[in-house]
Amino acid sequence: MTTLIQTLSNRVRNMASRSPWIYRINAGSCNGCDVECATTALIPRYDVERLGCQYCGSPRHADIVLITGPLTARVKDAVMRVYAEVPEPKVTVAVGVCPISGGIFRDGYAVHAPIDQHLPVDVNVPGCPPRPQAIIEGIAQAIAIWRERL
Amino acid sequence: MNYVKTLIRNLIRGPSTVAYPFGPAWTPVHFRGRVEFKLSSCTACRACEQVCAPGAIRFDKTPEGLRFMLWHNTCVFCGLCEYYCPTDAIRQTDDWHMAHATANQYQMAIREVIPYVSCSACGTKALASAPNPVGVIPPFSAEEIEQQRNLCPGCRKTALAERGVTK
Amino acid sequence: MLESLYIPFAALLFPGGLFALALGLTLKGFDRRLAARLQARVGPPLAQPIYDLVKLARKRTMVPDIANEPVFLGAPLVGAVSMALAAALVPIPGFYTPDPVLGDLLVLLYLLTVPAIVLMIAGSASGSPFGAIGFSREMAMMLAYEGPLVLVVAAVAMRTGMGMGGWISFSLTDIIAYQQTHGAFLLDPVMWPALLAFLAFYPANLGIIPFDIPEAETEVLEGPLLEYSGPALGLFKIMSALKAVVVLGLGVALFYPIAPEGAAGLLVQVAKMVLLMLIGVTVVRVSYGRMRIDQAFRFFLKWPLALSVISLAFVALV
Repeated sequence: MTTLIQTLSNRVRNMASRSPWIYRINAGSCNGCDVECATTALIPRYDVERLGCQYCGSPRHADIVLITGPLTARVKDAVMRVYAEVPEPKVTVAVGVCPISGGIFRDGYAVHAPIDQHLPVDVNVPGCPPRPQAIIEGIAQAIAIWRERL
Repeated sequence: MNYVKTLIRNLIRGPSTVAYPFGPAWTPVHFRGRVEFKLSSCTACRACEQVCAPGAIRFDKTPEGLRFMLWHNTCVFCGLCEYYCPTDAIRQTDDWHMAHATANQYQMAIREVIPYVSCSACGTKALASAPNPVGVIPPFSAEEIEQQRNLCPGCRKTALAERGVTK
Repeated sequence: MLESLYIPFAALLFPGGLFALALGLTLKGFDRRLAARLQARVGPPLAQPIYDLVKLARKRTMVPDIANEPVFLGAPLVGAVSMALAAALVPIPGFYTPDPVLGDLLVLLYLLTVPAIVLMIAGSASGSPFGAIGFSREMAMMLAYEGPLVLVVAAVAMRTGMGMGGWISFSLTDIIAYQQTHGAFLLDPVMWPALLAFLAFYPANLGIIPFDIPEAETEVLEGPLLEYSGPALGLFKIMSALKAVVVLGLGVALFYPIAPEGAAGLLVQVAKMVLLMLIGVTVVRVSYGRMRIDQAFRFFLKWPLALSVISLAFVALV
């Protein structure tokens, strides 16, 4: 009986994990990484929808959060507020070197990078910008983490 | 009505999607990806540290030698270090599989120590110069190069002055 | 006893409720597959809408501080239930005829306005400014497309009523019976303007490009749905899947209800709905960009309205 319930809940979890919706937060990015993120959905060559992903406009619909940019001082409060709006369970992916370490803006007075000292980050995708396939690779890793949290 | 043509063509031809992540992905020939460091070619000139824009490359003095450090999570893949490296010790590969769990982010680095040797003449600590720098052809025989490598810069200067120039 | 069980059964299990939900989700899956193919992509698996629903059921529902909580959480439920009821009203030619106890075409028309109204209520109850913008846009769209829709339905009803010797007949059973004996309205040149107007109504009612202005993701961040998450959002997805079944079934009933008797009728109905979905929804949505609200409003008051008036005049004169 318990094994039946376990297999059933596993099946349901696997089904649920095939529908990760993605939300992008631009934390002061130069837009390079944002363009590459949009590319994964809009250009037929990359097509992130194969993984069941969908870019959504509202943080409340999101499961995977892609953060780009070095978290500039000006945008910090807004980013924290939007991040809190994403319902649990969620997974965060830092796209590009800016949120991971600050990249070219490291130790600058106007940025609060690295972003993982302000909010929990699960997967890093370094690059300046990372190529679309690298972002898809990061999303695939994030889905694996998200499945465990569901 | 061009879009109708496009739609019909897409319908017949099928998707143009690359199979990745379920299959292999194509990488451009001159893709600027993960930086690679070859310790045996480094002469510790520190030109790469000087030109590195985001400060991804750093040299530290440790008791064992000069430590070269490169954090991939700061590197912006500009390629300046490769361009300025006189001995081709730093090279950019076309590897872009760099997504990783945040828990491992500090393992995403190169840490190599260029060891100190003690000078065979006076015994002071000095950096071992690279055994086989690329693109440099010194006008010495192989045994002489091996001799010079084990000297500190001061002793080497003296030794070369005593040796004189040979044709 | 069986009589009293009929309405809950019809609304919850067979033509409405579960069956319609399964059908609607499959239709959405087909829609996404074909849209991907037309854009030279691979697209999600066919069962993707089901995965989405399962996922949403496992997420947390967040209610904004300034929202009116009972209305905020009640609105999607009302929408989903009303659409399940509406699905029970749509006949499947040759297989299922709704009992007159449930209602006729007019009840169906009223029920069809419920999703739009529910979205407006949801948008304003959420307290979000984007919800308010979505509210006003949804209202404008509804005013624009309801007029032509009613005129189209009136044209079909009049054609049937006059053909049967009366004046107007709002019974879907009569409309289907008339077409099965006198030929489908799809092949009747008098009804072609009405058919065109009805095709324009599809994307507006189903909220897809080029008329997804109230829920425009890139402009008003999904408008009324902005603040919804988890199961409540799932109810909205259920509502839209059921709505697709209802309006597609309505289109089949109004214009081409020719089908064999028995189980084959059900299969033919599903095939017709898939075809109508692909032509009326998918191809339209991949080939156009989103209109502005004023453009869409003007479009509906110009072409579909004119076409439906012409159609009504044809029916009255011929």
